Formats: sequence, C-alpha cells, structure tokens
Amino acid sequence: MSLRDVLSPFTAWKHVIDDPVTIKDPFNRPGADRYRGFHQNDMDKCIGCGSCEEICQNAAIDMVPVEGQHAGPGDSGLRPMIDYGRCCWCALCVDVCMTGSLTMSNEYTWVDSDPDAFRFVPGADGKSWDLDVKGYQREDVRRLTGTTRAPMGEMPAEERIGNFCEIVDGFTPEQAVIEADRCVECGLCVATCPAHMDIPDYIAKVRDGDFEGGLRLLYETNPFSQACGRICTHKCETTCAAMHEGDTIAIRWLKRAITDSVPRERYFDLIRKPDVPETGQKIAIIGAGPAGLTTAYDLARAGHKVVVFEALDKPGGMMRYGIPEYRLPYDVLDHEISVIEAMGVEIRCNMRVGKEISIDQLKTAYDAVVLSIGLHQGRSTRVPGSEKAEAAIDLLRRITAGEEVPVPEQVAVIGGGNVAMDIARSMARLQKIIYGTVGVTVTALEELDRFLADREEIEEAQEEGCVIYPARGPQEITVAGDTVTGLRTWKVKAIFDEEGRFAPKYDETDEMIHPAGMVVEAIGQMSDISLLGADLTEQLEWNRGRIMIDSEGQTSEPWLWAAGDVTSGPDVIHAVADGHRVARSVGKMLAAKREKLQ
Amino acid sequence: MREILYRLKDRYHLGTPTFQRTDLCFVTVRRDEIRAILTELRDMEGFTHLTFLTAVDWIEEQLFQLTYMVNNREANLSLGLRVLLDREDATGDTIHDLWPTAATYQRELREMFGIKFPGSPRVDEEFILEGWTDLPPYRRDFDTLAYSQQTYNDRPGRVTHDPKTHMQKTLYPSYPKGAK
Repeated sequence: MSLRDVLSPFTAWKHVIDDPVTIKDPFNRPGADRYRGFHQNDMDKCIGCGSCEEICQNAAIDMVPVEGQHAGPGDSGLRPMIDYGRCCWCALCVDVCMTGSLTMSNEYTWVDSDPDAFRFVPGADGKSWDLDVKGYQREDVRRLTGTTRAPMGEMPAEERIGNFCEIVDGFTPEQAVIEADRCVECGLCVATCPAHMDIPDYIAKVRDGDFEGGLRLLYETNPFSQACGRICTHKCETTCAAMHEGDTIAIRWLKRAITDSVPRERYFDLIRKPDVPETGQKIAIIGAGPAGLTTAYDLARAGHKVVVFEALDKPGGMMRYGIPEYRLPYDVLDHEISVIEAMGVEIRCNMRVGKEISIDQLKTAYDAVVLSIGLHQGRSTRVPGSEKAEAAIDLLRRITAGEEVPVPEQVAVIGGGNVAMDIARSMARLQKIIYGTVGVTVTALEELDRFLADREEIEEAQEEGCVIYPARGPQEITVAGDTVTGLRTWKVKAIFDEEGRFAPKYDETDEMIHPAGMVVEAIGQMSDISLLGADLTEQLEWNRGRIMIDSEGQTSEPWLWAAGDVTSGPDVIHAVADGHRVARSVGKMLAAKREKLQ
Repeated sequence: MREILYRLKDRYHLGTPTFQRTDLCFVTVRRDEIRAILTELRDMEGFTHLTFLTAVDWIEEQLFQLTYMVNNREANLSLGLRVLLDREDATGDTIHDLWPTAATYQRELREMFGIKFPGSPRVDEEFILEGWTDLPPYRRDFDTLAYSQQTYNDRPGRVTHDPKTHMQKTLYPSYPKGAK
C-alpha cells in the first residue's frame, strides 16, 4: 500500500463546505425540464382532428365535445380526453399533433383516490400545470406526417401562352400515392366541401393504389369529379389539418389523379345504373350545366325518365362555355357527360325553352321541372361608353363555340374575379397567336390581395403577360367614332361606405387612361329569366331579384325547382350539391305522387 | 478509421462503409465473420469497449439487423458493425466471451425481438417482461394497440366521437348524403 492510497480518502474533506448536490426536499422536486408529464392542450389552437386519438397505441384518448368549443370551418369542436389509466406517456400524440396545440408539462406526481379523476380533457378541465413552460415539446426536427406537397408539373408561361392546351400536368399515380400518404384522414375538410365528398376515404384509396375504388367513391357524391379535379375552387383545402404546420393536402389534384388513372371505358363498368324499377315518371330539366346534370344523374339512377333541355350547341353550361379549355379540356367534359348519359339521361341540345318549347308545355308534359339555367348574361358597369363594351361571359362563349371574335392588340378587362382572369388569359392567347405579343390590362376595384379570383389564377395571368391594375374604378370607356380607344379609371379610395354598402369613393386626381381596342366587362353575371314568361314570373316568389327557394330547392310553385348559379352559386361544386338536394326533393314529391295513385 | 477498414478488407467481406462523421462509421459484415472481426478489432485495433448491441426489424425484407457498436477510447473512434439475419428463426452468434456485458444485450434481444443467441448465459430468462406470452413486442408485426386493448380494461363510461361524423351531425344534418 502506498502513502497515496492512505491519504487520498481525506481529499474528499475539501468538499465539506460545498452545497450538497442531493435534493433537500425530495417530496416537491420538479421533473426534468423535458419530462413527459400530464398533457397541456391549447384550446384555441386545437382543431379537434383526432390525430392524437388515432396514433395512441394504448387507446387512451377519446374525442369529446367540450363546453365553449363549437364545430365550424376547420374545427370539429371536439377535444381529446385522456385516460391516464392507459396512457404510457410515450408522447406520440404530441409528436403527431397537427397544430402543435398538444404538449406535455413536466408535472407527473398527483395522487387522488378517485380513479376517474385521471380521465380529463387537458386545457378544458383546468389543472395546476396548464401554464407550466417546462415539459415535453416536439423537437420540430422532423414530423411524422410530411409537410411538403408533392410537386405538380405545369407548362411554363412561355409555352402555354400561344395555345389553349391544358396547363397542369396532373399527378402521376406514383406522385399521387406520395401526396396521399401525408393525409391524416381527419375529415375536417368534408364539412367544408359543399357536396360533402368523402375526401379522406378517396385519399385512402389513392394511398392504397386502388384508383377504381376511389372512382366509385367519387361518383357517390359527385358526377363531375373530373371537372372538379381540375377547376374546383377547392375550399376543402382551406380547412385541411395539414395547413397549420405545412402545405395543405392537394385534395383537388388527388381527385384528378383518380379520374385520370382509370381508363375512360372502365368508367362505364364501374359507374353502373342501379337495378331499380322504372317509375314511369318524367322530369324536365332546363339547362345542362353541373346543377341540372347532377339532378338528372340522381333522378335517372332512381328510375325516373329525365330529359335535359339545353339552349346551346353542347351540354356542360359554364364548364364548357365559361371555363377556358386550358383549365378544363373539352374531351374531359365530353367524357364526363357521357357517363351521365349512360344512366339514361336524355340531353336535347339547341332547345331553348321559351323559343323551341315553352315552359308551360314542360309543366304539362312532365311531372316536375327543374330550372338550372345559370348566369349567362353579363352585368354592365353602366359607365359612359359601356354600351360599346363586350361582356366577358359572352366572349368566352363565342371563343368556345369557335366563333370569330375581334382581337385587338390591346384589351382592357374590368373585374377581379375568376371570369375576369379567364377572359384576360383567353384574349392574351388569341393575341399571342395573331400578333406574337400579349397586350391585356386588368383593372379592378379591389386591392390585389382582396381580388375574388383564385390566387393561382392571378399569378398565372401575370406570368402570361397580363398587367393588373388593382384599386382602379372604371369611369368611362373612351370612344372615337364607332371604335373603342380605351378605358379611363380613377384610383379607388374605398369600395364600401360605413354601413358596408357598395359605394366606391375615388381619388379623382389619380386618373389613368388604359389604351384598348376592346374593353371587356367581367363584373358579374345574371340569369336570363325571360323564358319564364310574364305569368309565371308574376306567380313566383322572389328574393332580391332571385327566385325564392326553400332549403331543398323548391320554388313557390309545387312543380318547379331551381338549382345552381341561378339561385345560389358561385361554383361547380355548389351546383353539384344543389343538384343532389333538388333531386332528393323532387324524388320525395314523385314518390308521394305514386303512392297517391296506388 | 479508413486505414482500419483497409486492413480488415483484405481478409473479410465488408460492405460499403457509411461515414456518419469522421469518427463514426457503419459497415455491414457477414454473419460468419462477425466474431473474428470483433475479436480483431478488440485485440489488435484498440476497440476495447462494446457500446451497445441492438437490432432493427426490416419486416418488408424479412430480415433482422444486428448492430454492434464498438469504441476505441484512445483514438475516439466508433465503428458500427451490421449483421443481417433471416427473420425466420433468427439466430445470432453469442459474443459474451468477448464482452461479458453482451450477455445482457443478447438476453434483451431474445426477449424483445425473439432473436436467439445459443450459449449466452441466462439468455432464456425473463429480462424486463414478466410472464410475456405474446409476440416479442419490438417486432413490427406486434400490434401494440390490439395488445393494449386486450390486456387493459377501459374506465367505464368512455365514449368517443369521429370528427367527420360529429361535424355532419352538427353542421349539415339534412344534406342528402349517402341517399343516392
């Protein structure tokens, strides 16, 4: 034994005056900073998507209604209730939480003789640790669900501007599966979709590569899934749980991926008319747009005879004559409508009600009539010279119909909605084809971020060379002799007055002249209701210039229903939802009529 | 590190090394060579410390991967050796004679993955699971949720709500959904 071995134990004495490293009060010692203790949940941030319940491997979480939380856009109103008798504190729920609302405090000591006290809703049932800062929070290095949208191929502006070819490539099946894999299938989007499509269910089909099963699901709620997969206003994506901490799921493109992946001839095998007896009852539908044809689809599948009267050359309504081909190719629409016709729906084109046949004749010959005539008349600004202006909707129809339209080198468009972008971009294409350059200016009352048009429409229009002047109010369409020379605008100071009424105020000193050989008004549309005739117009009840309908789409006349843009709007998916509602209402009336006869 | 791998490469079958850092490298080796390589690393190359021995379940490939992490303290180098085993009746070669602590790791792997290590001391005794009769729980085909539901009772009165259905009931009960 060396001297060092004898002395070294005494070196410990030098610590005798140090603070002890042990805990003085072991009964009140805090957990470690990142300890996984009882949960905290920020009630305002939580959206009730239930991903925590879904991932819990101990079935410890229930989603329950909570006082003060209500279902609404992007929030189910439910909140997680945790059973701490089952919770193993693994924190998978915190890791998967779509908003980051769910965290864990470092509090873990709590004694109670009532076992049910350990079942509660964190954040709603107040606890002493609710505001504790310490505890487990997601590290945010990686996420269990991907946060980035699968990329979408698109024709670049310089390639697409000289033609009307479809711009968006659509997902390949492989890309679609990757994108679908990000969806947590919470279903918050379903409430936002006007037609309440089974979004998580068809996304699950994409993820499993079962595109045919997906197509069947789509047709249960929407016979215009091909169109909607391309041009839907996709409000569903504004309430997607994924938007809180990443890109929303590309719901619209996934829908399109399903419809693109199934060969066209297979549609007729997958979407079959149900085997139901013919009722012998007949329905006339006026207007072959999305609302009318959805009604027709439902009613034909229920065994009724349906005839659709269409004033124009071809069916499709605004989807054909409003939406340009580069957003929705005509062959897609033709195929979509052929599936509806395969249900036995008869579409008679070039049959303008009020001209070739009267509405009274329809009333007599059919058990019910559905009015789905859309909004095909452009509204006018009524500024001086506006009688020389073109209506956007009229121009779009003529372009689709292949009619010759005048294409001056400079065009000014009034309006900031999707129709304004559609006509601006269509005219830009025609100019490019004729002159090799684009000369389109778009003016609208709103600031750019308040435009009604979809963001991507605005961006794509700008990419294609359309110049946008926001917050400009039209004052005059300048004319020299018989020809339009331009548009005079003032800067907009305010669009609405204090009471919120439309009353634009202008800065008269800020005047601009936009030179143009054509001015197009795209400030809204209205219905051409002349087909109703004076008597029926008088009989019907009206609401601010629109036909009044009940919640099921029935007018004040027992034989007449109305659906689509003519009563509600503003897009295809609302029209589809209307169509379903009206079809059910008409179906109920027809069933009652059959019962009476028996 | 590279020199060590060059020296080993002449006599053993090494896969392509993955350098996570300059002082941390992973390399796949053959099962019948792992004991020889570990012995050489320990006795000739200074890797005296077995940091851990663990496994990964590559269920899609029907393989288990053993990872032996050894460390050279003097040179501050860590080397991970991977060995792939058939998942069916998976059996590894015990290394408790090289590092006595390996017996504990092997006992754990036997319990959590069901990987056998014949000859390892007390390897078939329970490690942390008592009276376990189900699939080894770290196997990916073990259904944690189903096990939990079978094994543990719920508190009475538990009810849950599906967000989609709940929203349908509260926000749009009259929409004709599923009526078609």
